Amino acid sequence: MVIPALFIIITIIISALVGIRIIASKYSQLSSQNRLLKALRSLDKLVISSPEIESLYQGIVEVIHKELGFTFAILALVDKEAQIIKRIAISLDSDSTQTLNDMLPVKFKEQIVPLSNTENLFTKVVLDKTPLHTRNLYDIQKGVLPSEISAKIQRLWRLKSIFLYPILIRGEVVGILEYSSTKEKEKLSALEILIMEEFTAEVSRALDNAFLYQNLKDTSRQLVTANTRLQQLDQLKDDFVSVTSHELRTPMTAIRSYIWMALNRPDIPLTEKLKKYLQRTLISTERLINLVSDMLNISRIEAGRIEINPQEYDMVILVNEVMEEVKPRAQERNITIEILSTPIPKIFADRNKVHQVLLNLLGNSLKFTPSGGKISISFFGDGQIIETSVKDSGSGIAKEDLGQLFTKFGRLDNSYVAMGTSGGTGLGLYICKSLVNLMHGRIWAFSDGLGKGATFTFSLPVASADVLDQSEKYHIKPKEEVRGLEPVAL
Amino acid sequence: MKEKILIVEDDQFLREFYQELLQGEGYLVDVAADGEVALQKISQGGYNLVLLDIMLPKKDGLQILRDLKITPPKQNNGQIVILTNLGQDGVIKQCSDLGASGYLIKSALNPDQVLSEIHSYLQKS
Repeated sequence: MVIPALFIIITIIISALVGIRIIASKYSQLSSQNRLLKALRSLDKLVISSPEIESLYQGIVEVIHKELGFTFAILALVDKEAQIIKRIAISLDSDSTQTLNDMLPVKFKEQIVPLSNTENLFTKVVLDKTPLHTRNLYDIQKGVLPSEISAKIQRLWRLKSIFLYPILIRGEVVGILEYSSTKEKEKLSALEILIMEEFTAEVSRALDNAFLYQNLKDTSRQLVTANTRLQQLDQLKDDFVSVTSHELRTPMTAIRSYIWMALNRPDIPLTEKLKKYLQRTLISTERLINLVSDMLNISRIEAGRIEINPQEYDMVILVNEVMEEVKPRAQERNITIEILSTPIPKIFADRNKVHQVLLNLLGNSLKFTPSGGKISISFFGDGQIIETSVKDSGSGIAKEDLGQLFTKFGRLDNSYVAMGTSGGTGLGLYICKSLVNLMHGRIWAFSDGLGKGATFTFSLPVASADVLDQSEKYHIKPKEEVRGLEPVAL
Repeated sequence: MKEKILIVEDDQFLREFYQELLQGEGYLVDVAADGEVALQKISQGGYNLVLLDIMLPKKDGLQILRDLKITPPKQNNGQIVILTNLGQDGVIKQCSDLGASGYLIKSALNPDQVLSEIHSYLQKS
């Protein structure tokens, strides 16, 4: 009975010992896994908390040292442009860094491996895109440090094995992680090797994101700089346009004034020919002056530097005011203007801008209507909008030209002769369209053809309760300094 | 009694043009070609109307208006009307804030329009 009992006890002891070993091995596995998980969590935190990419580099090597327990960790990055591998970060406290730097003839961060140096294992990792292992530190310092210094460093930190892992981003090696251990490779468990692989893969992902983010940051910084510069240039351009237009106008005003004097002073005898030539010079000068003003106006409209300040008012009253302004010129040319007023609701638009549109349309009609002709202004309302039409008995517009009327320098091939001698700039209707559109309206033209007169109509919103409720929508505030519109002579 | 008008204009041709135009209408015309002379003459006073440019050598029109607010003229003047080629709303508003009675843009007006504006300003004062 003793023997079987003893046998049982021995069996139990052996089983217990085996169990303890299994448990110990399981425990060690678990603690390795735990270390990896902790290290990965630290890496995650690093990615989130690193303000600059440099602190992420440093954090990575420190996690390898402190949490994965390697003696040394080094991060090196490939500089593709310079064709070199640069050591970027090392996991040492400042005392050890000092010790190391004192030993080194070349400072750590200046230890550069050219990609042409194929003797160095760093280069091999980059070119072969595979992890490598060595027992000899000098293998990764060839061409960088003398062998005796490498040996000294290896002795001092008792390094037995050095593992190099490529950091791969989309199939390209962007850098290397170096894990140095005081254990020989054979003494490391499969799990410890796996940890290096896993951690490197995670670092690759983290760096990929960091690089993308860095790029984005750099790009947006560049964009901000470029944008500031553009704003300065825009301001310069605007000042230049303003000053130039002022400078241009002075001599043009002198030309215009003297020609006008020559043509209108009764004490100056003019031959018919001279009179004709002076008249043409006067028209051209006026056209030049208007061009300068129109171009200035367009640059302001397009830069969003004008304000649309809508009010509620009666369109018929405004049209009457504008008609008073152009009356002398109409009388001079023997053209009658009639206003076919009907009771219409008030509109909601910027009074000055509508004034400018009306002046432009009436000015056009006056230019293109021969002496003895007629211009009539009529209104139509449907409760939502008011349409104002300016109809003349003038030279009309060819059908194929109607589409180009409202474009910038909308040169009218078929109606060109009339335009060229009219003192027009080719910009007035474009400005009208821009202004009307800014006020939530539309503008269009109709003509039965050349010689058959033309009708220009624009619509503006009625100051209905709905519109007034959303009046802010109709108010356009300029992006920058408000510039008014330059007056353009009729 | 003939009305006295001061023309402040640095461009010689334009200055002489307005001078001739206004003399032709029977006004007594005095001229100034830069901001300093202009301020001296306006400060002496006695004009029924001053036509003041803004972009001027030595002292610009806005500065002249400011100086006149601090040191009023010895003898009163009639109205000061801006006659310029600068058309920005900002400048126009500044001028009226500084006491100018009107704002005419040279390039937008024919000489007869300039004259009728001047007549109406003189009638108002």
